[in-house]
Amino acid sequence: MKILNYLFIPFLVSLLLSGIALAHKVNVFAYVEAGKVYTESYFPDGGRVEGGKVLVYDSQNNLLLEGVTDKNGEFSFDIPKVDDLNIVIEATMGHKNSFKLKKSEVEAGK
Amino acid sequence: MRTIISMLSFIVVMALAVNPASAHFGAIIPSNDIVTQDDDRTLGLEVKFIHPMERHYMEMVKPKAFGVIVGGNKTDLLETLKPAKGKGPDQDQDFTFWSTDFKIRKPGDYSFYVEPTPYWEPAEDCFIVHYTKVCVNALGLEEGWDKPVGLETEIVPLTRPYGLWTGNLFTGQVLLKGKPVPFAEVEVEYLNDSPGNPSIVAAPADPFVTQLVKADADGVFSYAMPRAGWWGFAALSEADWKLKQDGQEKAVEIGAVYWVHTRDMK
Repeated sequence: MKILNYLFIPFLVSLLLSGIALAHKVNVFAYVEAGKVYTESYFPDGGRVEGGKVLVYDSQNNLLLEGVTDKNGEFSFDIPKVDDLNIVIEATMGHKNSFKLKKSEVEAGK
Repeated sequence: MRTIISMLSFIVVMALAVNPASAHFGAIIPSNDIVTQDDDRTLGLEVKFIHPMERHYMEMVKPKAFGVIVGGNKTDLLETLKPAKGKGPDQDQDFTFWSTDFKIRKPGDYSFYVEPTPYWEPAEDCFIVHYTKVCVNALGLEEGWDKPVGLETEIVPLTRPYGLWTGNLFTGQVLLKGKPVPFAEVEVEYLNDSPGNPSIVAAPADPFVTQLVKADADGVFSYAMPRAGWWGFAALSEADWKLKQDGQEKAVEIGAVYWVHTRDMK
C-alpha cells in the first residue's frame, strides 16, 4: 500500500505540473524605440514573467547578449546589431518561447 | 388607374413588410481575429450596416463614435474611417460603409466598438442604433475580452470570443446601462460574405435567416455556431429616449451587437 502511495503522489504532481504548463504558455514581445530594444514577457492571462532569462540571437544564431526580466516581465537593452533578432524567453519549469524582431523594425527604431 | 396605383402601393407595402425577415445588424469585420507574430500587424476593418445572411447593405452615414480599447485604454479612431461603397448581388444601387487600417503595436485584446448615427427605418417607424463590438487578440496576451466597453447597451462575452471552433457554444451577457437584461431576445445571423465561405448559404425558410435565442433571467444567452465564418449576435432593446422625425417623436431601437469568428477543425 505504501508503495502505491509513493507511486501515486508523483503521478498526481506530474499531472498538476503538466496542467500548469498547458495553461501557462509563456510569451515574449519586443519593440524598438530610440535606439533601445524593449522586451515584455507574459502569460496569456496577463501575468508577468519575473526573473525569466532573456537570450538575444542574431540571424546567424550567435548569442549577442542575455538578461533577466524584472517584476513587470520587462528587460531592455541597447540595439546590439542591426539584424533580424531572435529573442528567447526561458521561464521556470522549461517554459520557453521566442519572438522574431525584423531587421526593418530594428533599423526603424535606431 | 386609381385601382392600379392602390394595388401597386399595396405591393410596395407588402414588400417592405416582408423584408424584416432579415434582421438589421451593425457590423465590424476585421481582416484577422488572432494576430500571431508571423501575421501582418496591420488590420483592415470594415464597419457596416447590413443583413448579414442575405448580403444586403444599408446606407451608413459616418458613425458617432468608433474606437478601440486595449489594456483598459480607449483610443478614438473615428477620424481614420474612410467611406467605401458596397452592394449585395441582388441590390441595384451602391451603399456607403466605412473602412480603416489599424496597426497593432502591442500584445493584448483589442476590442473595437462603434456607435452609429441613428438610422431612420420607415418600415419599422423607428430609429435604429446598433452598438457593435468585435475583439481581436494579438500576440498571445489574452487580457480584456471579458470587460465591458461602457456602451449604453452591449454584449459582454462569457466565452473567450476568439479561437472558436465551428460548433462551439458562444455565451454572452446582454447589458443595458451596465445592468443585465433579463430574457433579452438575441438575433443571430451568419455572415454569408465571410471570407472563405465555400458556398453561399440559402435559407430554406425565413426563420433560418435570423435565428433567435432568449437570454435567461441574468441576461445570459448561448448559441452553438454550425458553420465556419463570422457570426453576429444582436440583442435589441427600446431606448428610454426618443428622436424626432418630421417633427414627431419616434422610438429608438438600440441593439447590442457582437461578432465572433469560427474555424473548422481539420
